[in-house]
Amino acid sequence: MVLIVLVFALFIVFDMRKFVRIKVPAKVYVLYFAIVTASLVVSLFLASGKRPYSPAKVIEAAIKFIGIEK
Amino acid sequence: MEKTRISKIQLFTLLSGFLFGSTVIVAPVAGAKNDAWISMIIGGTCGILLMLVYASISLLNPSKTLVDILREKFGKVPGSIVGVLYVWYFVHVASLVLRDYGEFICTVTFPETPMIVVIVIFAIVVLYGVNSGIEVIGRVSELLMPVIPVAVLIITFSLFTISDFTAFLPVLERGMMPVLDAAFSYITFPFGETVAFLMVYPHLNRMEEIRKTVLTSAVILSTLGVIIFFRDIFVLGTELLSRATFIPHVTSLVFPEINVDPLIDINLMIAGGIKISVCLYAASTALSQLTGIENYSWLSGALTVFCIVLSVWQFENVLELFTWTDKIWPFYSVPFQIIIPLVLFVMSLPDRKKAANHKD
Repeated sequence: MVLIVLVFALFIVFDMRKFVRIKVPAKVYVLYFAIVTASLVVSLFLASGKRPYSPAKVIEAAIKFIGIEK
Repeated sequence: MEKTRISKIQLFTLLSGFLFGSTVIVAPVAGAKNDAWISMIIGGTCGILLMLVYASISLLNPSKTLVDILREKFGKVPGSIVGVLYVWYFVHVASLVLRDYGEFICTVTFPETPMIVVIVIFAIVVLYGVNSGIEVIGRVSELLMPVIPVAVLIITFSLFTISDFTAFLPVLERGMMPVLDAAFSYITFPFGETVAFLMVYPHLNRMEEIRKTVLTSAVILSTLGVIIFFRDIFVLGTELLSRATFIPHVTSLVFPEINVDPLIDINLMIAGGIKISVCLYAASTALSQLTGIENYSWLSGALTVFCIVLSVWQFENVLELFTWTDKIWPFYSVPFQIIIPLVLFVMSLPDRKKAANHKD
């Protein structure tokens, strides 16, 4: 867990240096943190052994619900 | 849009690498067993037609990316919503290839290395390529792609002495349905996935060459695919072929005296790397266009991180991955690869005169 948080922190610091230097618009920060936070949350769940319901399972359920694949 | 240009040779190598991608290790037509070559011919022909539709969409909408075309044809809001779905789709394709790569390397080459380490190291290299731009990815593919057919032909010809040339017989023993099912899978993987190139085609320096380039790369790669299938079935036979998880790996084990597995690793690294790079490039540029962000590389890092997490998150093991890609992937891909592009193509047809004037 700590290792994951550290890797993400390193990655964010690396990108933030670039963002601050070139003064990127606010929407870049919003999008960037939305994607990275989602990734971090899923990573922490995976590291703790609680695998969240994956997109592949959602897609499979949707396709089975439509009745294309049984 | 990024002001870079790629040559037709670079587009050819990019397309070839993309088509070869993870098909090096995952056989989408394995379900047809010894009739897979018929599936490859049927699926390959339909796949080439589909790729020509993508090329025609780009020709009918010169200098426009997929996002521009979606917004123009469907309207700003519905077009943007479909655009977001395509961003998801491109990231999803990249994550699947990344997982294929991780599974193969951790099963065959580095069995004691954690898969996440293999995936992260590969993703860092890919991210560097994506941030460098499509021109750099094109040049790298131009440099490395010739290795693939050479490696394939070395393995194929070296195995001639231990081949049983009747292994693909009898033909159509189990009827036509498994063949058609496998052909459908072959259209969606890998041909349909080249829909990502709708974000790359506008960078081609000579748009009039696009159809010829697409056709040439698709025909050559389809032929190479059939050669690889015949090599594998001649060496392994139908039963072993249908039971093997990574078919080329098992074939390479039969190779007399020396270990040729690294050649397959190299092929996967080159072709898989090109495929992931193009998908992540398409996703990053599409997302930056949708949100009005001028530089796509500001978001490519975050998307790559998400792609890594998604590749690990989706499946618990390799069997789950293969079952899902075999049973679910073809149907899930239909809207992205066939329905939406065909609608765009039909809606673009009235613009033929405008496109002709643009060419003049």
